[in-house]
Amino acid sequence: MAAPKKTPDRHYNFRGMNAVFAWSSIALLVTTLWMVWDDYAKPWKRFQAEFRERERQQLAAEAETEKAKLNQNEVARIQQDVANEEVTLEGKRGEFDELEATLIKIGKNLYAADARSRTTKSLLDTERFQYDSALQSGDEERIAKRRAEVERLAAKHTEQRNELEAITELKKSLEAEIKNKRSGLADAEKRLAGLRLGYDSLQERVAKLDKKIDYFLLNAPLMDFVLPALKIDQVILSGLYNDINFTDVDRVDRCMTCHLAATRMGFEGEEWKQPFRSHPRPKLFLSASSPHPYTEFGCTTCHGGLDRATDFARAGHSPIDDEQKRGWIEKWGWEKQKYLDTPILPAKYSEAGCIGCHAGNVWISGSELLDIGRQLIDKMGCYACHKIGYEAYEDLPRPGPSLRKVASKISPGFAYKWISAPREFRPTTWMPHFFFQPNTSSEENLKRQEAEIRAIVAYVWSQSATGEYAPAPTGDAERGQDLFDNVGCAGCHIRDAEAKRDDFFPQINRLHGPNLIRAGSKVSSGWLYAWIKDPKQYNPDTRMPSLRLTDQEAADITAYLMSSREPAYENLSIPEVDKTVRDELILSYLENNFTIESSHAKLDKMDEGERNRYLGEETIQKYGCWGCHDLEGFENAKPIGVELTEEGSKPIHQFDFGHVHDVPHTRRDWIKTKLMEPRIWDQGKEEVKSYKELYRMPNFGMSEREAEAVVANVLGFTKAYVLKSRRADQNPETAAIAAGRKLITSYNCQGCHLIEDQGHAIKSVIQDVGQLPPNLASQGARVQAEWLFGYLHDPSSVTMRPWLDVRMPTFGFKDAQVNTVVSYFQTRDKTDAFLSTPTVADPRHRAVGRVTFGMLQCAKCHPAGPQAGTAGVTAAELAPSLLLAPGRLRHDWVPEWIKDPQSFVRGTNMPANFAKMKDGSYQSPLAQALEAPMFASQKAEMMRYFDSEEELTTFLSDPDQVVVALRDHIWWNLSSN
Amino acid sequence: MNKYRLTTLSAILLVFVFVACGGGGDAKPAVETSAPAPVSESAAGGGAISGVINYSNGDPDAVIKMDADPVCLGLHTEPVETETIVADAGKLANVFVYVKEGVSGSYSPPEEAQLLNQEGCIYIPHVAGIMTGQKLVIRNSDSTLHNVHALPKNNEEFNQGQPFQGMELEKEFDTQEVMVRFKCDVHPWMGAYMGVLDHPFFAVSGADGSFEIDGLPAGDYVIEAWHETLGTQTQSVSVAADGAVDVTFDFASAAG
Repeated sequence: MAAPKKTPDRHYNFRGMNAVFAWSSIALLVTTLWMVWDDYAKPWKRFQAEFRERERQQLAAEAETEKAKLNQNEVARIQQDVANEEVTLEGKRGEFDELEATLIKIGKNLYAADARSRTTKSLLDTERFQYDSALQSGDEERIAKRRAEVERLAAKHTEQRNELEAITELKKSLEAEIKNKRSGLADAEKRLAGLRLGYDSLQERVAKLDKKIDYFLLNAPLMDFVLPALKIDQVILSGLYNDINFTDVDRVDRCMTCHLAATRMGFEGEEWKQPFRSHPRPKLFLSASSPHPYTEFGCTTCHGGLDRATDFARAGHSPIDDEQKRGWIEKWGWEKQKYLDTPILPAKYSEAGCIGCHAGNVWISGSELLDIGRQLIDKMGCYACHKIGYEAYEDLPRPGPSLRKVASKISPGFAYKWISAPREFRPTTWMPHFFFQPNTSSEENLKRQEAEIRAIVAYVWSQSATGEYAPAPTGDAERGQDLFDNVGCAGCHIRDAEAKRDDFFPQINRLHGPNLIRAGSKVSSGWLYAWIKDPKQYNPDTRMPSLRLTDQEAADITAYLMSSREPAYENLSIPEVDKTVRDELILSYLENNFTIESSHAKLDKMDEGERNRYLGEETIQKYGCWGCHDLEGFENAKPIGVELTEEGSKPIHQFDFGHVHDVPHTRRDWIKTKLMEPRIWDQGKEEVKSYKELYRMPNFGMSEREAEAVVANVLGFTKAYVLKSRRADQNPETAAIAAGRKLITSYNCQGCHLIEDQGHAIKSVIQDVGQLPPNLASQGARVQAEWLFGYLHDPSSVTMRPWLDVRMPTFGFKDAQVNTVVSYFQTRDKTDAFLSTPTVADPRHRAVGRVTFGMLQCAKCHPAGPQAGTAGVTAAELAPSLLLAPGRLRHDWVPEWIKDPQSFVRGTNMPANFAKMKDGSYQSPLAQALEAPMFASQKAEMMRYFDSEEELTTFLSDPDQVVVALRDHIWWNLSSN
Repeated sequence: MNKYRLTTLSAILLVFVFVACGGGGDAKPAVETSAPAPVSESAAGGGAISGVINYSNGDPDAVIKMDADPVCLGLHTEPVETETIVADAGKLANVFVYVKEGVSGSYSPPEEAQLLNQEGCIYIPHVAGIMTGQKLVIRNSDSTLHNVHALPKNNEEFNQGQPFQGMELEKEFDTQEVMVRFKCDVHPWMGAYMGVLDHPFFAVSGADGSFEIDGLPAGDYVIEAWHETLGTQTQSVSVAADGAVDVTFDFASAAG
């Protein structure tokens, strides 16, 4: 091949440059095309196209079904009608043509007449102005001329208007005639359309989704900026932040770009898989009428993930396990988003997202997992060692019992054995195992722990008050069991050696207090008797209430509880511990503060008791016992655990996975593993770390379910990403409700009562529903604030149902606590605190009330006196005495309650006396009933207060009047009798 | 739709006098209590399942104590036995037998209403079946207050007082449910059960323990027998077109 010839005036190779240019233009063209294609071929478009096609197919199938459902005979018949009508019309074709021709002609005339009239009107207006000017000039001749002209034009305009109106009338009558002639056909067509409505509207929707030429044009590369059918769907969420490069910016959720059916219904079936499924529970989420509309809350606010992403991997989808991960990698090209702090919560934990806005609400209704976890955090006392900076977990009482007088309750030997392994004595206990865990199982460490436990007991006993209790009076264990089950103890306690905590979920109210198995081997009968009679004498701050037991009742219950025993826990003494090991431990603490030499000197100065107490105090410091137990000397100590307030957004690299390699590196897996095996991160480090450096988190014996429920909550403890004003717990109402719920939880009111549809735990023991403590629905609207305040302070002041075995206990609340409860009920039921005194009712209302009270046989269930229990039905079916009503109930509530009791308390035994009609009105049966001769005397009695029968009938037919009359009878007649 | 309907003046008076004299009975039945004869839109078949409910323990003969309400007590001259277990010669009554699985097609409810009568302070019938959308008439034939408190799980709960004799309440159920319990809170011994189905293939065993479900199209079915305290039992049956199948259920109380 010959070398290219060089020309002297060019210093470059011409052909070479041509080639360079050619190649670079090709490369540029290819790049441009590539760029266009890359911009065009977004993965989300595939989803949208697929969804569109599937939806079209589904609608087409539905249309077919609808078509099949059409009664073909009917359709054929109506179609025949249409055809017949058309034939009839055809027969009158000539007539029609003539009519229509006339109509067209008239239309033209109308237009012309209208134009003429308008012209004359404007001429008239002009002339009037001229006339006005002439009047001003005072020129008589001009005035006369102008006036004549005005009159002429006015007359002409009137004439033209008459003509116009006549033509309009004619047109209308012609149109009516035509319409009338066509009415048969129009009617038949309308019937046909009505019959085919379902099918036709479906067909229309299918047609909209059909891909026609415009679809391809509008979605073609480079053309798709105009009006594409496939486009990114986004919603801007103000006040809900996302941290983008250290700046809080409003979220812009684009999830709907692929999750196309999320806000729509009808995509719940098996055949619809993600991303094409409807969001579950539309009444609660996403729908416009739900509390969380999509346009206000979007998706990532709750679910996590990168709001702006339109790509599967970048959005931050998190696989729940390896299998799902492999599937995703294969199918969607999933990869871990290293720089995304808050990936999407896996479906299992998605409820954690609720906490961002509801952290202060205590109960998050509708979320079982969160609720179990919340109860566990509360019962296990996580908050006692780990600060959790949300209302729901702040200022809570210590979860464990006070140890200030423990020496008068149990023996040191029992305490030693209990601390060593609490679940061995009581399998359901919330007290965790601190000792003898996998990271402290070396022989040396076993000895150290024995020394520590002994030291703890020594210290606690040295601080504790002592006391002797005289043995309990003799009781009957069988009667005691009956009392235990029925008087109220069972709302908070069980006595069941076989019970497991898991069995009680989702409501663990009956594990609020300890499982009372083996009580006979733990405490003395004297202590137990004194305790159940008056818990506050032992611990003034206890939440255990007094059931106002008589001496005999207390003795019976004591006998029942003391009958459960475990001999292995009786007559125990503290085992001897290895003193060398103990002293080494003491030295290790002393050496933190002193030189080695003076540490030894200090140790030498201590006697046996001092050594144990010194080590005890240090050990209590080490394990943070005061978090759960009230202990003298540790009143103001700070909790020892890591703060959990933002644990859910703590970067993953800050979690210590130690040498453990089979736990996936996710926040949820770390927390779950930690909860189930608290010492696992020390695996392989036992030799490296000193004894004191080993992990100390105790073992709660959590089941997987328990751990996951706690994880769901902890994952929700994140950095604030919601503007305060947008949080659900930030207005006075929700705050009052939250405070009430916190107290209700703390005192376990739901062990006995049904509150917000949760509770009645005691139901598992009290079989007779009539003996159950009341459902507190509408309590705030029902009772007077002052009454409730007084009752909560001293429930013995009133007995509403003297025939009940179960008792409302005396909690010894402080005023502030009672106010919290009262305001909770009133806020929840949207009631004002104060109410005016009702005026004395007029005689008419009182008379009607008295008579109808009898006719409706109210006294069948409501006994006449506070102590009467024999009104004709069994005790459990009785209703409260109405004599108590004026002092207890709100007079504005009573009529509403009588009118429709079920709307206040679902399932109540109080029957409705007025039938509720479909339009929401109520119908009174009284007027009709009064027509019966058997009610003649009643009628006569009421007629004394009415001028005519008609007036009486009108009164009795109006439920609103009758219920007020009944209330007035209860208020003014009953109580004055 | 709820609708109170009072029988005419004279009827009330008549009934009142009648009942007060210990006569019982209803002067003017507004509805028939006969077994459902539903109109079927789907292909009605000629298949039938019939059989008998055996019971290996005796009738406990427990008597209802009506002392709590003197009106109720006065309505009976003989002691009234509880209806929980009604057995005679080893045959069990008040068992609701229905086709649980295998029914296809849709069935319209019958025109006539099902009656639940409160008469003599008990519910008559004690166990019955009703179709979704079928009218249920609840009548108080006694001259004392009854309240009919339905405790469904899938349908809407209601609790309506019926203080006047002759009062009627009309209700219907929208959703299938086996069984809906009814109770009277004034008279705790009163209870009734109603099976709500969207097809007409159900029956209640009579005093001789026998039952019959007919009009079934050919097919394989699972039938269930339900008793209020003895639980449920199921059997699979194949029904040929125009074929009759005989089925026996054997119940025994757990204690026995």
